[in-house]
Amino acid sequence: MLLKSVNYVRPESVSEALGILSSNEGAAPLAGGQSLTNVLKHRVASVDLLVDISALSELRTITRMTDGSIEVGACATYDEIDHSPDVRAGHDILAREASHIEDQQIRNRGTIGGNCCLSDPTNNLPPLLVALDATMNIRAAAGSREVAAEDFFKGYFLTALEPGELLVSITIPPIPVGAGAGYVSLSVAADSKTIVRAAARVRVNGVIEEARVVLARVASVPIRHYAMEEALRGVAPTTESVRAAAELIGSDVEPIADGHGSSEYRREMARVVARRAVLAAIEEGGRK
Amino acid sequence: MTEQGTTHVIEVTINGQLYSRTVEARQLLVHFLRDTLDLTGTHIGCDTGSCGACSIILNGKLVKSCMMLAPQADGAVIETVEGLAQNGELNPLQESFSRNHGLQCGYCTPGMLMAGTYLLRENSNPTEEEVRRGIKGNICRCTGYVNIVQSIMDVAGGHGPEQAEGMVGEEQR
Repeated sequence: MLLKSVNYVRPESVSEALGILSSNEGAAPLAGGQSLTNVLKHRVASVDLLVDISALSELRTITRMTDGSIEVGACATYDEIDHSPDVRAGHDILAREASHIEDQQIRNRGTIGGNCCLSDPTNNLPPLLVALDATMNIRAAAGSREVAAEDFFKGYFLTALEPGELLVSITIPPIPVGAGAGYVSLSVAADSKTIVRAAARVRVNGVIEEARVVLARVASVPIRHYAMEEALRGVAPTTESVRAAAELIGSDVEPIADGHGSSEYRREMARVVARRAVLAAIEEGGRK
Repeated sequence: MTEQGTTHVIEVTINGQLYSRTVEARQLLVHFLRDTLDLTGTHIGCDTGSCGACSIILNGKLVKSCMMLAPQADGAVIETVEGLAQNGELNPLQESFSRNHGLQCGYCTPGMLMAGTYLLRENSNPTEEEVRRGIKGNICRCTGYVNIVQSIMDVAGGHGPEQAEGMVGEEQR
């Protein structure tokens, strides 16, 4: 397949990449390229200059901080995350879910930053990062800023990134004491496109003290279901109480219909995966 | 910094041999291998990163060569299916594909061999499920997966009793 003629540059530092991105209107960062390459083949987006950031070592580091949080470079691949002892040490769920993205070839190239910046509603990591209360660290030539994962995803293929900005890393706080995380997908096939999924982080101290419940593929971006979170607060961590809270997922959620399911089917399945994700989070928290 | 431009001079080591060529930035790596270097062992099945027929090992990592641009491979060490046989002799994995009828039409075979090679390097004694997950990115449109999985299991050493009996049967024939 022949692509449209394109310029390519491989900068040697993030600063250099930011300079190029800010001074070239038609420039786009190229990370793992596992989506962008197909975009170029199909000519659905016009890119004049590809700024290849995939080899920048400063974007590939994974660091465990003294407070137990973890900072993952935007160009860390799914496979690197899967095999990182630092990720496994405190954020096993991130490694586990990274290991279930598509296939080995894609995991060897695809990056956590690309997974987020594409903002495809079927992507695996955005709902998990929202559930884990991650912070997106953004840099531009003029300076840097932080955006909560919850505020980063703006719509189909749309994020909070402004032109010239680059997502450089993602900070995930430690899973609180007594808390666990859960992630459940209903997918077309194993490790493939999701029909609906839920991610949760739940802290239990006798009763459920705090719950973050995130639904994906019921809207253009991952959404927290605040009514379910509120209903879980203060109740016993039992199957019955979680089931009752999940029943609050109702007409407030308007999923799309497609070949894999009607809107009503997705809504019904959203209740199921949300319940299972919260129960998985409770179980994980109890094991620690 | 690699200078900005629509053409680039790249140096790539493929199966131990160094190649230096001028490429267009828009050229897919698989086209560089097949059209520019005439290394046609690597196949193109789907052109969208779905089928894995173009799988190669780049800097030790299994990748789909239709999902990369040629200039991205500058400085890389690449292994393709042409590098598996040594001195005209099939390597043990290739022998196993032959012995276990792991090829039907053969179109997916280069990608399957590279995925199998990578899998066995990472995990010398995989379970059947690990083999199936390891080749998840490779599609066989003849749907001959059973024999492909068995071909990989057979050289892995950790084959179960069923496969062992099958092997004996093969040898007796």
